[in-house]
Amino acid sequence: MNNASLELNIVALAPAASMVIFALLVMAVDVFARGTRTQPVRAATPWVALLGVLVTAGVCVWLLGQPVTTFQGMAILDRYSLGIAFVVLVAAGLSILVSARYIPRVNAQVGEYYALILLISAGMMMMGAATDLIVVFLALETFSLGLYILAGLRRSDAMSSEAAMKYFLLGAFASGFFVYGAALVYGATGATQFEQIAAMATNPATDLTFIYPGIALLIVGFGFKVSLVPFHMWTPDVYQGAPTPVTAFMSAATKAAAFAAFYRVFLVALPSQQAVWGPALATLAVLTMTLGNLAALRQSSLKRLLAYSSISHAGYILVGLAAGSIAGVEASLFYLLSYAFMNIGAFAVVTLLEKQGEMDADGARLRGLGQRKPLLAAVMAIFMFSLAGVPPFAGFFAKFFVFAAAVQGGMSWLAAIAMLNSAIGAYYYLRVTVVMYFNAPDAETVSEVKSNWPLNVGIGVALAFTILLGVFPSLWTTLMESGVVTALALR
Amino acid sequence: MPELPIPIPPLPTLHESVFMAIALLTVVGAFLVVAARNLFHNALGLALTFFGVAGVYFVAEAEFVGVAQVLVYVGAISTLITFAIMLTRGMMYGATSPLNRQAGTAAIIAATVFVVMAGLLGSLPWPVAEEPIVDGQIVIANLGVGFVTEFVVAFLLLAVLLLVALAGAIVLAQDRK
Amino acid sequence: MDWLNLLVIPIIRSVVIIVVLLTGFAYLTWYERKLLARFHVRYGPNRAGPKGLLQPIADAVKAVFKEEIIPGHVDKVVYLLAPALALAPALLIWAVIPLGKDFPAVADVPIGFLWILAIAGVESYGVILAGWSSNNNYSLLGALRSSAQMISYEIPLGLFLVSILLLAGDFSLVNLVEAPRAWWEWLWLWIMFPLFFICILAETNRSPFDLPETENELVAGFQTEYGGIKFALFFMAEYISMITTSAIMATLFFGGYALPFGIGSDILPILGPFILAGKVIVLLFLFIWVRASLGRPRYDQLMGFAWRTLLPISLGYMIITALLTVFFK
Repeated sequence: MNNASLELNIVALAPAASMVIFALLVMAVDVFARGTRTQPVRAATPWVALLGVLVTAGVCVWLLGQPVTTFQGMAILDRYSLGIAFVVLVAAGLSILVSARYIPRVNAQVGEYYALILLISAGMMMMGAATDLIVVFLALETFSLGLYILAGLRRSDAMSSEAAMKYFLLGAFASGFFVYGAALVYGATGATQFEQIAAMATNPATDLTFIYPGIALLIVGFGFKVSLVPFHMWTPDVYQGAPTPVTAFMSAATKAAAFAAFYRVFLVALPSQQAVWGPALATLAVLTMTLGNLAALRQSSLKRLLAYSSISHAGYILVGLAAGSIAGVEASLFYLLSYAFMNIGAFAVVTLLEKQGEMDADGARLRGLGQRKPLLAAVMAIFMFSLAGVPPFAGFFAKFFVFAAAVQGGMSWLAAIAMLNSAIGAYYYLRVTVVMYFNAPDAETVSEVKSNWPLNVGIGVALAFTILLGVFPSLWTTLMESGVVTALALR
Repeated sequence: MPELPIPIPPLPTLHESVFMAIALLTVVGAFLVVAARNLFHNALGLALTFFGVAGVYFVAEAEFVGVAQVLVYVGAISTLITFAIMLTRGMMYGATSPLNRQAGTAAIIAATVFVVMAGLLGSLPWPVAEEPIVDGQIVIANLGVGFVTEFVVAFLLLAVLLLVALAGAIVLAQDRK
Repeated sequence: MDWLNLLVIPIIRSVVIIVVLLTGFAYLTWYERKLLARFHVRYGPNRAGPKGLLQPIADAVKAVFKEEIIPGHVDKVVYLLAPALALAPALLIWAVIPLGKDFPAVADVPIGFLWILAIAGVESYGVILAGWSSNNNYSLLGALRSSAQMISYEIPLGLFLVSILLLAGDFSLVNLVEAPRAWWEWLWLWIMFPLFFICILAETNRSPFDLPETENELVAGFQTEYGGIKFALFFMAEYISMITTSAIMATLFFGGYALPFGIGSDILPILGPFILAGKVIVLLFLFIWVRASLGRPRYDQLMGFAWRTLLPISLGYMIITALLTVFFK
């Protein structure tokens, strides 16, 4: 306990801290500004939350200019953690916009909802910033716990409750795997800080017997959170049962957060064992892409379709990690950001197709959307094209960078399989478009599409960036490039 | 005195016998958790297991961790579990089978994991502490200092985690309007 | 030597403490009945022996010789376990209570404080098990009430204990008694004592917070199905809990085995246990006084008081204590 060596750089925690402060503010607004029954001031809570997201984004932009700082070796502020923070902020901001008119229909507890979104985001940012297994675990639990609750937000609905219960039970189980894995890695190396683990793991005097089961269990724990096959079983049910804005947030932000820590643990703490985990992750990536895409082919519910699509996207992102290179990390970061825009955009469109009191939309409801709502159909088509990886949208470059990284990393076979999978994926994404434009509207399935301005703003922003990142991918890559190099230079 | 064909193993020391008794208690509790047919008995088994684990901490001279274990797991978590069971009467008195059709597979997997882990644990040379801890106060003080220095990030994050839990409890528990 | 130090001596000391406690319990019932009689302007027990002093012995003999009945509808193992589990925590706490300068606690562990908190948390098990295993609606309701009440009051109790801990700066109860304190510390402690005492009343299920065992609504609550010596065990648990908590309060608030202003303790260390006993008797009087004077609140009032009044107060108290400790010590 040497006090002289303390490095308490609060600045390293600033993004997460800012989110927590705004979460408290949201709760305070909710309690103290109740208003009257007819004029509820509580409607202010989403805007306070959104302000929190914007302020935090501002803080992050300011931090981009700061040097890399560490906090006691437990957390770090570098370009990588800021990149993850940006992805999480995008997901949180868009979800808040989508939720603004949606959530009051589902649950009266409006204030806590936005507070939880912000607190979860704080936990997710810590996933990106953590450089210690203990902090990773706590951050993991923080955001998971919040998501269990958000999944079951609609308490009177059996599907929502089932989603929450399933997510909670399996999630708790997966956390158990993670902790066990972390404990074994600690047992083998005697350290929880990534750099110390890396140092011990390369030290020939260390007995590494336990590190292998440890790595396996860590993969299971992370694999559950990012829904890798075979740990994906919960994904379709939870995505379908949760309120749609929550699903949107979950799909984009959880992936970013879990992949963030996944990458840092394996690339910073365990690079010496890459011969062990590299092939394992490549296998998982193949399984995940293939199974996710094949299952998605058979879905009729839009939310389940997007759930399986999200599984396959986890597979694509994992290709970047399996490549094990800096290019792979950069590519994955870009992928996560693009995915946040296009996927939340797609879910936002789904909310418009749901009937009152429903929480899912059948694919059949898309029939003839091209004639009824040409603009909406066009937007949906763009999101689908982007998810499929068609240029000139963000999804194209996301896939391109990841596959290029795999080829550079000497994993051309993996890139080939991934490309094959993109082709399968394109089928079901394009089918959505076909249904919208070439099927006549069915009288029974015509739904009243009611729009609202926060949602429109959300969709607009998502759309703008899906196109912008597709046309100028350098916007993001130049912002992040130098940073990722510094982050991994630590090892 | 004639040489015995098999050397008599040394009698366990007091420390060892206490540990064995506690370990046995823990295992019995764990067995009750999975095998008892009544949900309430499962919950009591869990409490027993937690108590046993606390006992192991005491034997290892980690009194602080042991007492924290009793305080949190036996005193709070298990009590709340039994409380929840008592509030759902349908589950209370019925006997449910602890086995489902996956029991066989699960047993095989569990047995494999046990054998592998036990084999690994047994094969390693474990470091032995040189001397017992003399002053427990210093250990606790160091723990406290650690929370606000070395592990302050974890400590802060824990506060956020609990805040999430509290807000979540409100969302789940508040009256429907 | 190992066996002697680790096993034989502690066992002898434990047995002595338990015997003293059991006698204390027996005469506490006599003390309570006599005192209640005084409050009611009656005589109280006065037939068995002079001043009714043999009454507890007569009661004990009666309880032991009652027929052993186990109702057919109970969960037998748990039913029999419950009274034992009710009694054990009250005795276990004595492991850490210092009895005098030459009579340290049986286990003078460095975590005496936490031990008290931990065991207080386990105390509700006896009641829960009794209520559940009795398979009887009234018992179940009583047990639910009891555990809810104990859990709720444990929180402010714990926070108050943490505050005392902050002032003491030490987990050991022996050091707590021995360490000198400034006058404002005593004052600040005593301000909190009434609230602490309220928590203790609720924790021990004593009147006026004896809602788990109300005769008129719940037919004695969780004890309904218990008779004979098993009922006596519950009774014993409650009364020994009173003695135990009084001893805790005496140690935390009133200097434990030491006389005020350090008088005499160095001259006659043998007096320690007796001084502690004297303080305990005074505190027990408080328990009985409250019982004779106050009526029961409604259950929702009881719970509301814990969560809406005591919890904020205890939190505030803790914060102020922390500040006082930082700035004045």
